[in-house]
Amino acid sequence: MSSAVSRRVSLVVCLGAVLAPLSVSVAAEPDGRELFIESCASCHGSEGQGTDAGPSIIDAGAAAADFQLRTGRMPLADDGAQAVRKPPAFSPDEIEALTAFVASLGEGPEIPTVDLDGADLSDGQELFVANCAACHGATGSGGAVGAGALAPSLSVADPVEIAEAMLTGPGQMPVFTAIESEDIQDIVAYVVHLREQRAFGGADLGGIGPVPEGFVGLGLGVACLVAISVLLGSKRKRDEA
Amino acid sequence: MKPERVVAVAFAVSIMASMGLVGVYVSGGQAQAEGALLGTALGGLGVGLAVWSVGLLPSRTRSEEREPLSSDDALVDRAEDDLHPSDITRRKALVRLMAGAGGTLAGALAIPALSLGPRPGQDLFTTPWTAGARLVDPEGAPLRPGDLVLDSVTTVYPEGHVGSPDAQTLLIKVDVQDLEMPEDRIAWAPDGCIGYSKICTHAGCPVGLYRAKAHELLCPCHQSTFDVLRGCSVTFGPADRPLPQLPISVDEEGFLIALGDFTEPVGPGFWNMTGGGG
Amino acid sequence: MLRWLDGRLGIAGLARKSLKKVFPDHWSFLLGELALFSFIILLATGVFLTLFYRPDAQLVTYRGPYAPLQGQEVSAAYESVLRISFEVRSGLVMRQIHHWAALVFVGSIVVHMMRVFFTGAFRRPRDVNWVVGVVLLLLGIGAGFTGYSLPDDLLSGTGLRIAYSVLISVPLLGPHLAFLAFGGEFPTEGIISRLFVMHVMLIPALIIGLVSVHLAILWRQKHTQYKGAGRTEGNVVGKAFWPQQVMKSAALLALTAAVLAFMGGLLQINPIWDFGPFDATTVSAPSQPDWYVGWLEGALRLFPPLDLTLFGITIPSPFWPGVVMPGLAFTVMGAWPWIERRVTRDEAEHHLLDDPTDVPIRVGIGVAGLIFFGLLTLAGGNDVLAIMFNASVEQITNVLRIAIFVLPASGGWLAYRIAASLGNNKSNLLGRKRGVKLRRGPTGGF
Repeated sequence: MSSAVSRRVSLVVCLGAVLAPLSVSVAAEPDGRELFIESCASCHGSEGQGTDAGPSIIDAGAAAADFQLRTGRMPLADDGAQAVRKPPAFSPDEIEALTAFVASLGEGPEIPTVDLDGADLSDGQELFVANCAACHGATGSGGAVGAGALAPSLSVADPVEIAEAMLTGPGQMPVFTAIESEDIQDIVAYVVHLREQRAFGGADLGGIGPVPEGFVGLGLGVACLVAISVLLGSKRKRDEA
Repeated sequence: MKPERVVAVAFAVSIMASMGLVGVYVSGGQAQAEGALLGTALGGLGVGLAVWSVGLLPSRTRSEEREPLSSDDALVDRAEDDLHPSDITRRKALVRLMAGAGGTLAGALAIPALSLGPRPGQDLFTTPWTAGARLVDPEGAPLRPGDLVLDSVTTVYPEGHVGSPDAQTLLIKVDVQDLEMPEDRIAWAPDGCIGYSKICTHAGCPVGLYRAKAHELLCPCHQSTFDVLRGCSVTFGPADRPLPQLPISVDEEGFLIALGDFTEPVGPGFWNMTGGGG
Repeated sequence: MLRWLDGRLGIAGLARKSLKKVFPDHWSFLLGELALFSFIILLATGVFLTLFYRPDAQLVTYRGPYAPLQGQEVSAAYESVLRISFEVRSGLVMRQIHHWAALVFVGSIVVHMMRVFFTGAFRRPRDVNWVVGVVLLLLGIGAGFTGYSLPDDLLSGTGLRIAYSVLISVPLLGPHLAFLAFGGEFPTEGIISRLFVMHVMLIPALIIGLVSVHLAILWRQKHTQYKGAGRTEGNVVGKAFWPQQVMKSAALLALTAAVLAFMGGLLQINPIWDFGPFDATTVSAPSQPDWYVGWLEGALRLFPPLDLTLFGITIPSPFWPGVVMPGLAFTVMGAWPWIERRVTRDEAEHHLLDDPTDVPIRVGIGVAGLIFFGLLTLAGGNDVLAIMFNASVEQITNVLRIAIFVLPASGGWLAYRIAASLGNNKSNLLGRKRGVKLRRGPTGGF
């Protein structure tokens, strides 16, 4: 595990520890409510009950709010489009406050703690292929899932975000609650491993299988060989003599 | 640079690369170095030969006469006669019988090919699902409706058959209010726990992709799309039949059970699928 | 040495004649050699791989060096390919060269066939060799598909499953055929060893046999040649087999191997450790076959949902794109020399090649065919295209469903027009009458 990852993990572990008591007494946090009314209520309603423009988030929980805000998916850039990762609109403090406020609205999942130290990579690989690869691809490179929706690449998501996504099912993603908590750690560990792993065979060509391989095989391999044939078989000046 | 020199340099480069290749192998091997050195060794050889053939060989153009391919008619006729000697051709009945013997033998010898596989029988029409079989997750744990969260999807099997390729079923939790299906089918989805065969009715891939907000299943192989709320009817792609729905109920201990096998064959179509087999 | 051989075989005369055999000097005659040389490299690397591969579906516990799979139950076949990749020294580079060579092998067959088609080299007396070539293309695709399936990883297992589904769709016979081929209902344990026998014995033996026939016919019939000064239907003008052509071919063999070695070392192909072992209940996306099967995959993706039931007999829709379309395609391809002869009534022998623009209709049909198969191949990657073009898979599919009719027709027509006008210009330059199309005298030459 890289040091950057572990630092962020420990940061979030602390954050989670701080947030747990907060979510009990969150009504006393005026900052969060204010921000929510200002930036979220127009779609989600003043109490998170939802409007025509946006779904209810009463039971979304801290995990969903933290995921959506920290990855910049919320607030949406434009209506209707799939929420995509962009720079967060709020500072970390504001996100903390907003998350605490959303958590206070109902009963949703808390921000998970991720500790990759004891994770079982092999278990993670098996679960990843069984549950995640159908949309995100075997190498986590992302993919088209129909109706214009994209399963994003997992190459930039940090470990806590990955865990949050599994618990809350953002966008078109299903919720994976049947998977137990240690399994989630294992999957996250495998995703982190995937992107740190060297491509043993050389350039990885995007890690999306035979399509780029075919383009390279024909566009580079066969094209090179045809070019060599042309050079080798073309007439020389000397031949004319 | 004179061609001789180019050829000499190319061969020398090739020799060095080959020696390097041996070195890499002996010191433990490394795929990228091996490929690059092997490529260089072969490339040096190839460039050397190419320059040699283009630059150093006499380039005299030759012409060769092309004798007619076909022989003259009389010769062909004589060959035809040789091929059909009259002492064989006039025994027509024997020739036919010989052909018959050969053909029958060939047929008899082809019969063992049937050992390659069993007769399909009922295999394509049945799965391990039986009435009362509990739905278990990939770990083998039985499930209660309350274990499932809205918008979650789990692959389930009949108890005792975890991993069964033809029993694999997707158990999806939806809001019962949202289902737009006949009442008897909604009754198969207690608490909105609805189960569909995971095997695509087009080409048999596991339909592993669930767009939760749209309540649509998508097969990653050929993009057949199924509407979970409407009996998994096809909304896009090459599949023509809905994914078969598993009749589900809850037993007295509160666990999800199957009421029986799927009511139609699962997976890709075959000619007598509507006939119920035989 | 020749004396020694001649003392036993009496071949000095034959040797002299053969060594001086004339090979026409044009790069396009080297394209077939590319296919031959890729095949030689496939044999060489394939023998190496066979020594380590285990065609066995038996489950074993993986204990090799690749951490994410340690402790998992995988098939012995999959385990042995991981061993080749991570533990056998030079195993990975050999495996990757083998896989790249397979892609290039089929690719060079196609390029070679394009040359033969557009120059009319398939006409009598070479119609026989054209058929041999078409069968070789089929065998090449078969060799590729069986090889793709051997590692028993998730991706290849998905390919096998689709092949099973196509087989089972055949009316009346499908279930029996599929059960005979696979040894039962998919997935079966026996299929790996069957594919192995096909991949390392049956298909290579057939390819070697047919390549020999292909070359023997070529040797006997002598090469075709392009039109030009001093070249007639009655001669072959070019360079001697020895030393010029042999040197050139040796150079080409070495350079083909060099390109494939670089690719095998520097470009990762089919990282089966990422896909994981085959499991009948999971699938990853995107999920594609190698490029030369892409047209079949694409046809399956584009074909509309159309299960027909007539008199109680269901014809599942995969039957049309999976069995009928490829059957028709290869029949038309194989019968092309006779189809063309029927239209042109040209029964004569041809040893001088057409300039493609001499027969614009053939150019049009050839281009239309290439566009058709090219589009099908693209359709096989419609989900990858969707990401590339930032469109939905449904849009891409619907566009391709129309394009598959429109583009071959319009592209073929355009190619026909261009070829016709080029042909007219050329004949005008040569001071001859317009209207070259379908002018096919039995004796060519200027």
